[in-house]
Amino acid sequence: MPGFSILRLIQVGFRSLRLHKLRSALTMLGMIIGVWAVILLVAIGEGASREAQEAIKALGAQNVIIRSIKPISDKVQLQGEMQWESIYGLKNSDAVRIEKTVPGVKRVLPILRHRKNVTHEQRDKDCQLIGTFPHYPQFTQSRLVAGQFLNEMEEARKENACVLTMSLAGFLFPGKNPLGQEVIVRGRESHQIFRVKGILEERADSEKLPQQADATGHTILANVYIPLSTFKALYGIKDIDLSVGSISVNTVELSEIRVEFGSVDEVVPALPLIREALDKVRKDKIDYEIQVPINELNALKAQKARDTWLLMLIACISLLVGGIGIMNIMLATVTERTQEIGVRRALGATQIDISVQFLVETLILCLIGGTIGVLGGCGNAAFFHYILDHTTIVTEWSVVVAFGLAVGVGLTFGLYPAWSAARLDPIEALRHS
Amino acid sequence: MADRNIIEIRNLTKIYDLGAIQVPALNGLNFEIEEGSYTAIMGPSGSGKSTLLNILGCLDRPTAGAYILGNDDVAHMSDKELSGVRGARIGFIFQSYNLIQQLNVIENIHVPLFYQGKDISDYYDHCEKLAQKVGLGDRLDHRPMELSGGQQQRVAVARSLVNEPLMLLADEPTGNLDSTTEQEILDILDELHAEGRTLVVVTHDDAVAERASRVIHLKDGQVDKDIRKQDSDRKSENQFQEA
Repeated sequence: MPGFSILRLIQVGFRSLRLHKLRSALTMLGMIIGVWAVILLVAIGEGASREAQEAIKALGAQNVIIRSIKPISDKVQLQGEMQWESIYGLKNSDAVRIEKTVPGVKRVLPILRHRKNVTHEQRDKDCQLIGTFPHYPQFTQSRLVAGQFLNEMEEARKENACVLTMSLAGFLFPGKNPLGQEVIVRGRESHQIFRVKGILEERADSEKLPQQADATGHTILANVYIPLSTFKALYGIKDIDLSVGSISVNTVELSEIRVEFGSVDEVVPALPLIREALDKVRKDKIDYEIQVPINELNALKAQKARDTWLLMLIACISLLVGGIGIMNIMLATVTERTQEIGVRRALGATQIDISVQFLVETLILCLIGGTIGVLGGCGNAAFFHYILDHTTIVTEWSVVVAFGLAVGVGLTFGLYPAWSAARLDPIEALRHS
Repeated sequence: MADRNIIEIRNLTKIYDLGAIQVPALNGLNFEIEEGSYTAIMGPSGSGKSTLLNILGCLDRPTAGAYILGNDDVAHMSDKELSGVRGARIGFIFQSYNLIQQLNVIENIHVPLFYQGKDISDYYDHCEKLAQKVGLGDRLDHRPMELSGGQQQRVAVARSLVNEPLMLLADEPTGNLDSTTEQEILDILDELHAEGRTLVVVTHDDAVAERASRVIHLKDGQVDKDIRKQDSDRKSENQFQEA
């Protein structure tokens, strides 16, 4: 086609489409919804996956977390029918054995948790009292906001020092500096006074994890950290639960043992050895569970890859439906404009000129539809992210794929109507009215 | 120059193959059309008039014979070549005007330029002059819907001239018009003839044929009568009509 003017074609294409505004808009709708949905769905999926990955990473990819769990029907009846005691869980000796016998272990972190009521002046809050070692912040990648964390000396001397989480500090000491102040931890036998020496910010992501919740299933941001030795000296290892009307006592030495390896690669091969070290001193009862963040992360990534393919399939189907809609309308348009085609042929248009004209119109529909879909999808994802506070991440590939598919579908489904327009006999077409 | 043939038709035959039967529409036509002449082709329905129009307009190809338009035999050209010939050498004027609805007056005049691959911006003045020539210089941005039948046909005439074709080929150009408008369009055709353009009009209307300097009557796919009028005859007829 000598001196072919694509600009002119596009201009004329727009004119023809404007002639039937509603029809053109409805035709585009399939494309818009398809592209919009792909981008939004991928953004939501990506956001959720990224959030979960961050949460798992917060647990530490080179960490293994061992938790005490209560075995079924492992109760010892104490004086009277309404009192029960369960003795189970991880012990200090387990932690020591793992550190000594499992190769690749860099260090272990014992954690003991009880629910306690903590007060300062008139304010009180149900908290999680956590007894742990001084290297807790490095282990959990938590950030110290003010003051210091617990140290070795306080551990050795069983001092009454504590560190509060930021939200708890803000609640107990509104508008005041909590450092150096005292809080009272209420117990059944006695109340203990603790001096606040630091404020810790837990990694927000790790707090959202359900695994971080306490025994009652609530995620508690109100944490009070004290030396493990202090914890044991003051409260022992019996946790008394009055909540169900009867008294049940859980005797657990350690709620959790975190094991850190030197590198991520050493984690998975060491898992059987950890089990071996734990099972050696247990008979048949299983009173612990092992969480392996690296395995969860890998499983999540595999899941995500599958989800992505599924989304792509849905995207292809919706764009296919949109494409068929476009083809349908373009075929109707060719029939409706048969006479125009005849006139153009008489005035010198070749078959290629005619097919290009209709292809351009189809492409315009797809490009506009695709563009609106991309803008709508991105805008919608941004709305979710910023207004509804639901993490979404718009990925470049989803935009490229959705838009590319829209145009590809347009070209594919535009070919047949364009071809059927081009092969019309000019004489017949001219006579058509 | 005056006697140079624009068209030479040699033994032109068209047979429609309907499978079971073969219907002859043109049976070995022979005639020439000179440059600057004004020819009317007439004949009853079934005489092969439409078939001849389609072949003259390069919309259809004959079964046999030669059709020399300008210097080339276009009888057996490919579809693509014929498209080029239509656009460059023939100016169509249709009964139902056949303007493109979504384009305005000046854009309709542009269309044949576009398919010749010409840069329209170079021809804007040219097209505007054509629009003025047919009396629509003040309606360049009007859509066909906003024009009367006569006005639409004027646009079609301007459009037919835009590529400076060898021949204007009109198919019942006044068939959809009332008698007053018909006279206006025929007057424009007369003017074009006077300028030296070659006109071929296919019609069954005697009033239209009357304006031509030559009338070819077709019957059963052959030339029945070929009447050449002297220019003086036409003038006297016109004077007679006016008087």
